[in-house]
Amino acid sequence: MGQVEFLHVTRRFDNGQEALKELTASFEPGSMTFLTGHSGAGKSTFLKLLLCLDRPTRGQILVNGVNVAQLPPKRLAYYRQHLGAVFQDHHLLSQRSVFDNVALPLRVAGHRERDVARRVRAALSRVGLLSKESLFPRYLSTGEQQRVGIARAVVNRPKILLADEPTGNLDPELSRDIMQLFRQFHQVGTTVIVASHDRDLIESMGMRIIELAHGSIVSDRGPSERAEGAAVAEADGELHGP
Amino acid sequence: MGRSRPRKDPWPRYRPGVLARWRDHLRILRETFHFVSERLGTSLLVWLLVGIALALPAGLFLLQVNLSAMTAAWEGRPGLSVYFELQAPDQAIADLAAAMDEQPSVARVRVISQAEALAEFQRYVGLEDALALLEENPLPASLRATLAPGAGPDDLEALARLAQDAAAVAEVVVEKTWLERVTDVTRVVTRLGLMLAALFGLGAVLITATSVRLAIEARLEELRVLKLVGATDAQIRRPFLYFGAVYGIGGGVVAAMLISLGLVVIERPLSEFLGSYGADLALTGFDLAFVGGLFAAAGMLGVAGALSAARQRLSDLEFL
Repeated sequence: MGQVEFLHVTRRFDNGQEALKELTASFEPGSMTFLTGHSGAGKSTFLKLLLCLDRPTRGQILVNGVNVAQLPPKRLAYYRQHLGAVFQDHHLLSQRSVFDNVALPLRVAGHRERDVARRVRAALSRVGLLSKESLFPRYLSTGEQQRVGIARAVVNRPKILLADEPTGNLDPELSRDIMQLFRQFHQVGTTVIVASHDRDLIESMGMRIIELAHGSIVSDRGPSERAEGAAVAEADGELHGP
Repeated sequence: MGRSRPRKDPWPRYRPGVLARWRDHLRILRETFHFVSERLGTSLLVWLLVGIALALPAGLFLLQVNLSAMTAAWEGRPGLSVYFELQAPDQAIADLAAAMDEQPSVARVRVISQAEALAEFQRYVGLEDALALLEENPLPASLRATLAPGAGPDDLEALARLAQDAAAVAEVVVEKTWLERVTDVTRVVTRLGLMLAALFGLGAVLITATSVRLAIEARLEELRVLKLVGATDAQIRRPFLYFGAVYGIGGGVVAAMLISLGLVVIERPLSEFLGSYGADLALTGFDLAFVGGLFAAAGMLGVAGALSAARQRLSDLEFL
C-alpha cells in the first residue's frame, strides 16, 4: 500500500503567490517518480504537502484513500511513522551517533531496543555504512551523511519514500550512487518520489518524470513515453540538424 | 484508481509493551539528567531560584503550623482566673469550682488556696523573711478554669458571668487578650503565606518555564526531526516535562535546605524568647510529610512551568 493521489491541489501563500495550481497527479504503489522543474516550480511544496509539513489551500491529497491534509495531529504522527523523507541538507543530529540518528524513527515508534539494533544495522549495511555506526555525523563526508539520512528514512520500512533534492550537494558519481539506492528501495515495492532539478541524472534513471513549472504539471512522462520522446527528439535533431 | 476508504487503518500505531514504555521513560530520564548535568551552572542557578521562591511560603506555612500548635498547647490556653475575697469560705470556692467543672466548655479547673498562692509567691520572689513578718496571708484564694479545645469567646463570656454571679468572688480576669493577639498573628501569617505561596509559586512556574523554554530552543533541530519521523506531541513534550520535574524537585531540595538552615539560625534566639515566657522550644512540622509535600508541590510547579513552555513553543513547531 503506497498509493498517492493529488486531486486539484492548490497552495496559495499569504502574499498571493501560488506554489501549486490545481495540480492533479497519481502515483501507483511501488512506483518511482521524479519531480523536476526550475527553482520555484513547486517541487518542494509538493513534497511538504505530502509530508503534511504544509496544508493545501484547496484540493485533496489522498494516501491509501485517506485525505492526509485533514489528519488530526495524533494520526498525522502515525502517518509520518509510515513515511520516509530525505532532504538535501540531511537534518542529522550532530550530538548523536550515526546509529542513534538512524534509530530515531524506530525509538519514536516504540520498538524494542533489540529490534532497533537489528534494523538499524540492516539499514546501515544497505547504505554501506555499517562500519561507521559509532561515529558522529561531523566525521562523515557529505555523501556519507546523505546515506545516513537515507538509512534513517528507510529504517522503518516505509511504504512511501520522499526525497527533496537528495543529490544537491553531491558530485555526479555520488549522486548516481544515491539514486541507485532509491531505485533499490523502489524495486522492493516502496513508492519513491524524488524531487530533483538534475535533468541529466534523472533522465538516466529511466523512470517516470513529472515536470513542474509555476505550480502546474507541464509534462508527465513514463519510461516508455520518455523513450519515444527521446526518439522523437533524436529524429527531430536529425531532421533539423546543426 | 480506487478512492474508496480503506477498511482498516492504513497507518496502524505500533503498540509497545509495558516494559518497552518503562525503558523509554528511563531513557528519557537518563537523557534529562545528562542534559541537566551538561548545563550544571544553569541548572544550579535554576534550582537556587526555585528554592528561594519556595522557601519563603513553605517557611511561613511552617511558622503558621507552629503558631497554631503553640496556641493549642499553651499552658495559658484561653480561660479565666477568679480571685476570691480574702475571707471567702472554702465551701463557696468548692461550689464554684464544681460548677465550672460541670461546664462542657471547660477542660480543667484548678483551685489555688491562699496558702498555695503564698508558697508560690515566695518561690518566685524569694522574700521568705519579709513575708514571714506578715501577720496574715495577704493573697486571696483563686480558681483557674481553662477552656476546652473548640470552645470560643462566647463560652468564655458565659463562664465569666457564672463566676461573677457566684458568692465571695472579688474579681474575674478573662485571660484572652494575649491569645487573641497570637491568633490574629496566626491568621495574618496564614493569609500572608497563602498570598506568598501564590506569588512565589507563580514565580517558580515562570522560572521553570523560562529554563525549559531555553532547553527547547537548544534542542529545536532535534525536535523538528522527531516531528518529521512521526513523534507525537506527547512524545515531543515528555522530555521537557521531565526537565520541569527535575528543576522543580531540585528547587524543593534547595527550599528544604534553606528552611532547615533558617531553623538552625533561629533556634537559639527563639528558644531564649520562649524560655522567658516559661515555655520550652518544640518546633514541629519540619518532618517527612512536610518535606515530601514540599518536593511534590515543587515537582508539580516545575511540570506546570514545563507544560506551559512546551505548549507555547511546540505548538507552532514545523520542520522547514
